[in-house]
Amino acid sequence: MQTMLSFFKGIKELIKGLGITGKHLGRHATTIQYPEKKWTMPERSRGIVVLLSDKETGELNCTGCLLCMRACPTAAIYIEAPRDENKRRQLKVFKVDNALCCFCGLCEEACNFSAIKMATKYEFSTDNKDDLVWDMKKLQEIGLDVPYIDTRKKKPAKPVGKKPETSQKNQEQVNDDIAPSETKAGEHHVTSESSEPPAVSQNSISNDENTEKKDGEV
Amino acid sequence: MNITPLIIVELYPIFIWFHDLLRKIGLSGTVLNVFTYSLLGVTVFGVLSLIALYLVWWERKISAHIQQRFGPMRNGWHGWYQTAMDGLKLLQKEDILVVTRDKAVFFWAPVVCFVAAFAAYIVIPFGKGLIVADLNIGILYIVAITTFTVISLLMAGWGSNNKYALLGGMRSAAQVVSYEVPMVVSILTVIIFTGSLSMVDIVNSQSGLFVNWFIFRFPFGPIAFMTYIVAATAEANRTPFDIPEAEQELVAGFNIEYSGMKFAMFFLAEFINLFTVSAIATTLFLGGWHGVWLPSWIWFLLKTLLVVLLLMLFRWTYPRLRVDQLMEFSWKVLVPITFANLILAGWMKYIGWYW
Repeated sequence: MQTMLSFFKGIKELIKGLGITGKHLGRHATTIQYPEKKWTMPERSRGIVVLLSDKETGELNCTGCLLCMRACPTAAIYIEAPRDENKRRQLKVFKVDNALCCFCGLCEEACNFSAIKMATKYEFSTDNKDDLVWDMKKLQEIGLDVPYIDTRKKKPAKPVGKKPETSQKNQEQVNDDIAPSETKAGEHHVTSESSEPPAVSQNSISNDENTEKKDGEV
Repeated sequence: MNITPLIIVELYPIFIWFHDLLRKIGLSGTVLNVFTYSLLGVTVFGVLSLIALYLVWWERKISAHIQQRFGPMRNGWHGWYQTAMDGLKLLQKEDILVVTRDKAVFFWAPVVCFVAAFAAYIVIPFGKGLIVADLNIGILYIVAITTFTVISLLMAGWGSNNKYALLGGMRSAAQVVSYEVPMVVSILTVIIFTGSLSMVDIVNSQSGLFVNWFIFRFPFGPIAFMTYIVAATAEANRTPFDIPEAEQELVAGFNIEYSGMKFAMFFLAEFINLFTVSAIATTLFLGGWHGVWLPSWIWFLLKTLLVVLLLMLFRWTYPRLRVDQLMEFSWKVLVPITFANLILAGWMKYIGWYW
């Protein structure tokens, strides 16, 4: 009797399973036909790296400070920015090797000038690996229609927060220290940015100085 | 010769008209028979190949939609000629031959499988008058000829000289032999009431209202149908009884060393077997080609495809049984049920409690 009952119970469960698959058979597919239809990517998704330029002048925001190049864990970014006679950096070469890029977004975090951004685009497959190395011109072209908020103008003019002293100390240290190691410099930079976002000009100058000294040593 | 309106309704007048035409030309006797039967054979072969191709496509679409995917979408509307393209690809492929194979056995295994799958259709009535040959031992012939599939799977397993293939072949032999018993006994339940093994007689005994179909003849009809469907699923080597080709255990089973067109023959034969068991279920339990308003062959196709859909739903719903569970289920559950059902049916026939 017990076995008979369990037998009928089993049959009931089998029919229930058929009902579930039948129900799913009538539903719409959750996948999409990729090349014809595409997801609209979320705004903060990390796709290809682009260079942003000023909306009015059309010039690149990049100052050639090499921070993104240092932040990049896979060395996908290559920058050449030698100094001119005024000791200002002139951006000559800015290459991104998309074959190396791991889409971590550290370059975007490291940048102080909203010059580099991970755009939402994600389609750049080619049949030649060399085509994946994109130069400055191409990165700028793609970056033209990438919407972004210019964080430079939004930064407060004076330091706000709890740790202005420490950060100032850090900066002083950096300035005084002739040869800080690269990792240290990075840490300093991060702390200074997060705790004390200074005015545009000040920030840029100080950073320039930092990089200048480091570069000189390296 | 007013056949134009009849074409839309029924197909058999075309064949009769063609037969008359051949006779008018001057063919007679043996020549006429050879000619008509070879022509019929080619027709059935073509139609069935087409059906098998579309069953593959259909299975892919159904499995995709159960898993909420699209399935093939590229070739034509919803990929309707995808399987034809796959067949073309398999035709062009290199026929890889294992060096250590048993040459003759390896070569003939897919041929036997293919022929055995098609030979069953000689006695299946596709519609009113649409039957190649109305043998008086029709259903017995089908049971006998479809068992050839086992031999072909064993041949493939042995000829490949591969342990996985051999395991698959042995498993399929064990499985099909044990599931043959409940299947034949379920068929016997029907035969008790028709009193004939001929497929046409079986169909004709279910004419009239749909309550005359054997599936609606309580209580033995539904039980026989259910046991038949379960046994037929095992006969067609489909999930949940697909242990001869259990991918997780046997890589690919008996067809592991086959490639190109030989593999395609196994693959097509599998789907033709699926259609065969569905067609037998339709003929025995669902009233064959009987139906109202629509032409008979459309009714037959509709019912058969319904059974095919059921078997496909089985495949994508239930997990695979273990080998010992499979044997246990056959001998401890199905065989007692079918025999009890057979005795019940015989008793009801004896005292006349049936319609």
